[in-house]
Amino acid sequence: MNHTGWKKWIAVVAFALVVLATGVFAVRTVRRAMYWRMHRDETIRPWMSIPYVAHSYRVPPPVLYQTLKIPPQLHDRRTLKQIAHAQNRSVEEVISVLQDAIGRERADHPPGAPTTAPVRSP
Amino acid sequence: MNISDQLLGALSQYGLPVLFGVIAIAAAGVPLPISMMLVAAGSFVELGEMKLWQVILVASAGAVLGDQIGYALGRWGGHRVVERFTRRRDGAARIAQASAFAKRWGAAGIFFTRWLITPLGPWLNLTSGMAGYPWMRFFIWDVLGEVLWVVLYVLLGKFFSDRVQALVEILGNLAWVIVGLIAAVILGWKLLRYLHPADILNERKVTTGN
Repeated sequence: MNHTGWKKWIAVVAFALVVLATGVFAVRTVRRAMYWRMHRDETIRPWMSIPYVAHSYRVPPPVLYQTLKIPPQLHDRRTLKQIAHAQNRSVEEVISVLQDAIGRERADHPPGAPTTAPVRSP
Repeated sequence: MNISDQLLGALSQYGLPVLFGVIAIAAAGVPLPISMMLVAAGSFVELGEMKLWQVILVASAGAVLGDQIGYALGRWGGHRVVERFTRRRDGAARIAQASAFAKRWGAAGIFFTRWLITPLGPWLNLTSGMAGYPWMRFFIWDVLGEVLWVVLYVLLGKFFSDRVQALVEILGNLAWVIVGLIAAVILGWKLLRYLHPADILNERKVTTGN
């Protein structure tokens, strides 16, 4: 009798915990999805490369290369962390410089206007 | 820099070898954020940094290799340990039970834990090996499931190539919601049996004709 009682309580607690954890993850999923719908921009992370940031923010890559004062490269696989390391500054600083440049580019060429020229090598 | 940042940075820099190695290690049982790597690889395909067929081939091969390692560990490493451990506790019967379960549900279990309930994948590799599930059958369902998983995630990454970070966070949470729902259904069923044992007993009597 006692044995069955124990088992029952363990099952109740386990069930409650699983439902709670599932609920937390479900809420997080929905919140992320809603955030995604409302904010079109990604957070810039140290793993990203300049071509990826340019692609994600829909700005021409040369704008970003220019602001970091490095020559544009085709198939550039360097991460922002590597670029920061090569320039002897923190990755946070590089990210903030890129964010400023993206802000300026968008102010100059608002989305929708056909002003972003295709990337051309000189 | 967290582990995801480090792995994605390495993927961006070195490409396919990193994809293969990390996926194989994760499939063998080391928890690494590999769904994220697949989505990122899909994005790099869209950016022209990687080729789609190469990514699918290499990632699937890595995943299948890692799964075989898990299976082998369960079959030739784990079995002996389990036998020694359970010799005095009716171990042979337990192993026979697990083996029967794996043989009955094995194919569906293997297939769905490759691409839908991915957090359980490495566990199933071990238990399939331990239960002595036929290797050829394990291998075939494993390949089918892993290729589906790789194609799904890489294509998602390719189509949402500008939002890798956001997509990965949503998918990561969603995977646990699916695991939680399955666990809740199983536990809920057990709970019902504990709360109404009389009904279940009656049902059994009816079905067995006693």
